[in-house]
Amino acid sequence: MLDTKITVIDESKKCMPRASVISTEKRSDRWSLLLVQVGENRDRKAFAQLFSHFAPLLKSFAQASKHDGWFPGLSEELVQEVMIKVWQKASGYKPEKASATTWIYTVARNCRIDMLRRKSNTQHLPLENEDFWHEPDEETPVSLLRQKRSEDKVQASLEQLPKEQDEILRKVYLEGKSHAEASEELGLPLGTVKSRVRLALQKMQILVAPEFRDELI
Amino acid sequence: MSTLKHHPDTAMLVEFSAGTLEPALAICVSAHLHFCDRCRNELLRLDQVGSQIMSQSEPSEVDEQLFDKVMAQIDNLPEQTQNPKPARSNYYPALVEQLIENTGEELSWRKMSPSVDVARLKTGQSDYEVALHKICAGGKTPKHGHSGREFTVVLKGSFSDENAVYTEGDFLLKEAGDEHQPMGAQNGECICLSALAAPIKLSSKLGFLMKPWLRINPI
Repeated sequence: MLDTKITVIDESKKCMPRASVISTEKRSDRWSLLLVQVGENRDRKAFAQLFSHFAPLLKSFAQASKHDGWFPGLSEELVQEVMIKVWQKASGYKPEKASATTWIYTVARNCRIDMLRRKSNTQHLPLENEDFWHEPDEETPVSLLRQKRSEDKVQASLEQLPKEQDEILRKVYLEGKSHAEASEELGLPLGTVKSRVRLALQKMQILVAPEFRDELI
Repeated sequence: MSTLKHHPDTAMLVEFSAGTLEPALAICVSAHLHFCDRCRNELLRLDQVGSQIMSQSEPSEVDEQLFDKVMAQIDNLPEQTQNPKPARSNYYPALVEQLIENTGEELSWRKMSPSVDVARLKTGQSDYEVALHKICAGGKTPKHGHSGREFTVVLKGSFSDENAVYTEGDFLLKEAGDEHQPMGAQNGECICLSALAAPIKLSSKLGFLMKPWLRINPI
């Protein structure tokens, strides 16, 4: 499908995007294939490669946390916990649904929240964060190709965001700030924070149907 | 499935994806996702945003012993048991089933009005009361206003109010001050999950009878 579409584009425009698609596919395939190997064969060498790529990223994800109650000592603890979970849960990984990077990110996000909840005495949630992500058995209708292309697009479009939109997404995803906390910190009205996030996502074409969503709530 | 008309807004999905949404509201979003492949799709892409932001950050050097530590722990892991969680009916979204299990014997249906029963779910949250509501077929509920936000997800059947008909999976938010009079569909009972932030104010004559049941009372 990709090829048939590209043949209608003139030669000069053809090379650039195609090259980047291929290289990213290869790259995301590499981690995804390794993760599949860990899941299917308990392959320790594959796991070691995943570890050397992801552990430093997970550590910086942990260090970026600005949650109440988070302290630097937790960072390597989080890396350990996430990588052990990756080993344990790898057999349930489905490469057609998400790349290894996205899958490992969701494990890390859930671990980070659960770790905070365990350390806090005020919350007694009888659930693990991953419980919120149960999926019904049927497949989410996302084809492998669309999946990879959209991940590519996300990466490329992130780099092109204006500074203020990039900053807000980082606050939300890396620092773990709610919209309300972000609004307080930046001294902006909550509505401005929400629309800034939405603008960024619209620009990145993340939203399914923005015109539909705007009328909600 | 994909004909759902009422979804959580973008801000809620973003907070759900980033893990910053309040647990009681995350329960409602999670229940909605069970029914809505459109929002599941969107969530997947929001997760990609998070993952790309993570993978673009400057890698941070880890202790060189860390890999060996992790492998040592992996070697000491207990044998993995195949899915220790009990098989569920799949009638409700898995998370709701789990909340029902967690609530256990404390789960009891109480009459809120002649046509509405309510059963509170144990979530350990003090900001919201999370509960199941059952409206009998054709049941009319008293007109009521909301003094705090209420999130509702239809789990089974359908109901309607002055504004719309809500079917399985639909997600609604009533803001403080909103009034409505839900009615169960004629063709069967309707079960909803709700998260309620503050006491409801009743505006009908019968209202005072129901007050004890409506007071927010998280368990």
